[in-house]
Amino acid sequence: MRLPLNLLALTLSILPSTLAVFADEAYSIDYQHELLGLPQPHTTFFHRPRSDEKATLLYTLSDLGVLGAVHPGTGKVVWRQILDGEGYLRAVEGEGTLVSGTGKSVQAWDAMSGRGKWGNYFTGQVKDIEVMETAAVGEGEKDILALFEEDRKAVLRRLKGANGDVKWEYRGSTEDLPLQVSTNVKDVFVVSLHGARGGYNLKVSILDPVTGKKVNEYTLTAKGDVHAPEDVLLVGANSAAPIIAWTDKTMKNLKVNILGKSGSLQSLPLKESDGEIVKVTIHAPELVQSMPHFLVHSQSALSNRADVYHIDLATGNINKEYELPKLPGKGAVSTSSQDANVYFTRTTQDEVIIVSSASHGILGRWPIMVGKHHGSFVHGVAEVVQRSTDSYAVRSAILMSEEDWVMVRNGAEAWTRVEGLSGAVAAEWAEIPESESLAKTLEAEAHSNPLSAYIHRCKRHINDLHNLPGYLQELPFRIISSILSTDVTSHKPDVLVRDNFGFHKLAIVATQRGRVYGLDSGNQGVVVWSLKAFDISAGKKWDVKGIWVDSSNGIATIRGADGEYILVQTLTGKADEKMDPGHWPPVQSAAVVDSPAGPWILPIGLDGNPGDIPAKWTPKEYLVVQGKGGEVKGLKFDIQGPLAVPITAWTFQPPVGQKIVKVMSRPAHDPVASIGRVLPNRTVMYKYLNPNLVLVTAVSEAAAIATFYLLDSVSGDMLHSTTHRGVDTTQPITSAISENWFVYSLWSDILPTTSGLPASKGYQLVVTELYESDVPNDRGPLGASSNSSSLEPSDVANAEPALPHVISQTFLIPESISHMSVTQTRQGITVRQLLCTLTSSNSIVGIPRTILNPSRPVGRDPTPAEAEEGLFRYQPVIEFDPKMILTHRREVIGVRDVITTPALLESTSLVFAYGIDVFGTRVAPSAAFDILGKSFNKMSLVATVTALGIGVAVLAPMVRKKQINGRMMTA
Amino acid sequence: MAPPPPPPQWVIDLSSPPASKPKSSGIPDPPGFTPTSTGSKKQQGSSKTVVRAPLTPAEMDTLKLKKAWEVALAPVKQLPMTAIMMYMSGNSLQIFSIMMVGMAFKNPIMGLMATNQAFEKLESEGIKSKITMVKAVYVAMQLLALALGIWKVNGMGLLPTTRSDWLAWETARDPLEIAIPAF
Repeated sequence: MRLPLNLLALTLSILPSTLAVFADEAYSIDYQHELLGLPQPHTTFFHRPRSDEKATLLYTLSDLGVLGAVHPGTGKVVWRQILDGEGYLRAVEGEGTLVSGTGKSVQAWDAMSGRGKWGNYFTGQVKDIEVMETAAVGEGEKDILALFEEDRKAVLRRLKGANGDVKWEYRGSTEDLPLQVSTNVKDVFVVSLHGARGGYNLKVSILDPVTGKKVNEYTLTAKGDVHAPEDVLLVGANSAAPIIAWTDKTMKNLKVNILGKSGSLQSLPLKESDGEIVKVTIHAPELVQSMPHFLVHSQSALSNRADVYHIDLATGNINKEYELPKLPGKGAVSTSSQDANVYFTRTTQDEVIIVSSASHGILGRWPIMVGKHHGSFVHGVAEVVQRSTDSYAVRSAILMSEEDWVMVRNGAEAWTRVEGLSGAVAAEWAEIPESESLAKTLEAEAHSNPLSAYIHRCKRHINDLHNLPGYLQELPFRIISSILSTDVTSHKPDVLVRDNFGFHKLAIVATQRGRVYGLDSGNQGVVVWSLKAFDISAGKKWDVKGIWVDSSNGIATIRGADGEYILVQTLTGKADEKMDPGHWPPVQSAAVVDSPAGPWILPIGLDGNPGDIPAKWTPKEYLVVQGKGGEVKGLKFDIQGPLAVPITAWTFQPPVGQKIVKVMSRPAHDPVASIGRVLPNRTVMYKYLNPNLVLVTAVSEAAAIATFYLLDSVSGDMLHSTTHRGVDTTQPITSAISENWFVYSLWSDILPTTSGLPASKGYQLVVTELYESDVPNDRGPLGASSNSSSLEPSDVANAEPALPHVISQTFLIPESISHMSVTQTRQGITVRQLLCTLTSSNSIVGIPRTILNPSRPVGRDPTPAEAEEGLFRYQPVIEFDPKMILTHRREVIGVRDVITTPALLESTSLVFAYGIDVFGTRVAPSAAFDILGKSFNKMSLVATVTALGIGVAVLAPMVRKKQINGRMMTA
Repeated sequence: MAPPPPPPQWVIDLSSPPASKPKSSGIPDPPGFTPTSTGSKKQQGSSKTVVRAPLTPAEMDTLKLKKAWEVALAPVKQLPMTAIMMYMSGNSLQIFSIMMVGMAFKNPIMGLMATNQAFEKLESEGIKSKITMVKAVYVAMQLLALALGIWKVNGMGLLPTTRSDWLAWETARDPLEIAIPAF
């Protein structure tokens, strides 16, 4: 068995590797979930991208800071931009412009194409933005009001709508917490929280919109009611009468002030129907020409109801107009305005109704037909269209409690975006579990003696005979479908079974919002199941430390940083066991170890201390952990009575001034088919194959140095180290290690002290190969010994470890790499590919190992013998050829990690990338040598054979007759 | 009884066909021409053997030995031709060079296996010791041809003579300790 494998390996190393995604495979073998993140209630809206356009697009700035436009009809993303975190988004009414305020910047975007129009950066933190409405139409682009917090003071800037330049600036005099900015056409209002934390008053500063000078200022007493900015329910709505509203502590009354009217603070009672009100939201129209009406939506645990109020502009009184009755369950209310009319859309678990703000008559009512698996309605935006005088249509994009974004069109589900899948923090591959009974039977057979196992198997096969008629019935369909279908993985949908090629695997994804998803990699990455694992409070992220999939039982164990864990069935997504955060000690990392009691996932506590564990669960192997200051430690377990106690075997600390930023080890599945590399003269360089390699990256920011240490993780010996000077340590420094080579990338500058050797400035990719000896045909100091020990490298006491021979080469790359990983195949015969995530071009590139070969001849063309071994001339620059880009035309944003797993076919490795987006594909680094491609025409093969058969059948009698006749003639 | 009637003319024609040499009448043969009629040649040959005196056993042995040497040296005579063809066919794996190599191996091996058959007719008691030597030379010549084949195969890189050819049978060292990364 070894021979063909190795011959194959040799053949493959000579074959040219594929550099391209084939056109017929693009969009068929790869899949992507183009995600935005969860839409936020105050930054999601329908808007016309151009004023003369009738159709609207759905815009949102999500919790992940992704600004995107979604086509409301199809649910497809039109364009996306990544901004720095959550923020504020406003549409300039009547213009095709969106304005976003995130972090410290205010940016304007073209609503149609998503191209940036202008951007302006300031020193303060953006707290709110608002569009300055003008009384007269057609005065050019509308200006933007941007509120900042600088040195704990409110700063308001009016930015020119055309280019973002500052028109005027207002600085608050006292230390206040700026909250929001609002405007009616006459005045600009800056609302800030005044006072100490825990009990704020609201201060409203009234500014002159032309000069930015403070005209007036008044304070609203809200002590005891407003503790945090979130307690203020609504400020503004850009209508004729902007209001500010909050509830009292017990949620019994709503306090409302019309901005600018210092004296009038009105108290509106909130009617309790069943149980306490838990949430109150206010919905008001955004347009300046809309009528000054607003809706108060109050939700209790069981039901929800709403009141509609009108503001009398002349007197400043707020009067209740009508109320929407109590309905069970949770509901969502959204506002949409058309000219002066304001419509409220109320979506509850049974029906959708639309009412006009002016009267309580129901304009439209539809029963809800939305899948129950989405959960309840959380919040949404709606667009109401008046078709004729009394016929309306409504579509609302509603975020569900199961973190799906659903478009409800007249009560029916139009499309669903699985936005909860965005923001993935960890993922792992899982095999689809075999049917349990068969697995058990096979195991039983393996353990009994051969004869009884044989008899058992025969009996089992006889029992299986009753399936035969069904199988025979199905056979023609299977044959026909295998001939007609072009996709190798096609099979019955909705059934999760393993396929013959191993392309069907599950990707278990954990997101920062505490959800877990199961995706089918062989079926365009569809979400098979999803599960809310833990409730993560807002502003926090679920920190997943490890996912371990036990394929024999079909159970995935997910461990989080606060000691929480959950056991999930990989096939169904049901939680078997769960431990909430906080009950167990915090976890720094987790590793799968093998113990006498079986494999299990060992949590490592803070400072790299796994703690004492029962002797039965003692790991058989050594452990490598990171300590308090990032130092790398080797641990060994010592059994002391009933407990196993970790003992530090070695510690690696970089020199003073250096900080460890990254530690990499070889992948768990990293088989090596050939243990040597054949040189052009047919001699062999033996690979240094040590499974216990750890690549430590340490940087010194002050000295601009990056050092890479290669350690033996059992003994702690340093095997190799290399230092780069003039490195920008703020740029990403990434590394990967596999087989007998490691690779890293960094940004390096030309040093003034460099002389002689030509230096270069830019992103570099350095590849290093390790060999047992620098002499060909030599297996190094260990000679022919069949095993190796890191602790006692030779029989001589205190001998030095066998150091590898190192060959290294540097390449220049056009852009920075934010993450690296290496493809994995079943037996390691296929040449590996380095998968690099490119942040600036939102893509993933697969660089073949043949390019990253440090033995490529430098400065000359290869000799024929070298060319035979696949070496070609060294080129210092690796261009990221579009053909090498695995994501081809897709834009995959926010990739955090790329994981790979072998398929059953040796040629193929499955790739899964996650982060904001989710992307998956299959790669065949040495071409798909063991499977027929799509271009192979099975039909024409069958047709040719059939035609030949028919031809023979027709011609045979004729030929026979002719031969007989011929013989008769000559005789 | 009356004598039987003479046979009809066709029977006579059939039994004694006319001479197949219509031009023999009139035109003389050119000088130096010997008639090539098979019948007459056979007659001549048979008459020759009849004429030749039988060989003595010693003479017979000498002749046999001579013949045996011819047989023994036959393979080496082809060698220069084969060598040139091999040289010309190049070291790449093509149908022509593969066939050449196949023939280069097949011929000597078949020859070696048929050593005794090749000399079977030439064996006799008197020259037994000499024939053995001739056989040895024959075997040596076949081996020479075989060596040429091996030279060719080596040139094509098909002989497992280098370390890289045995790499597949070498195994990686088993590590005695394993460390699990947990960071």
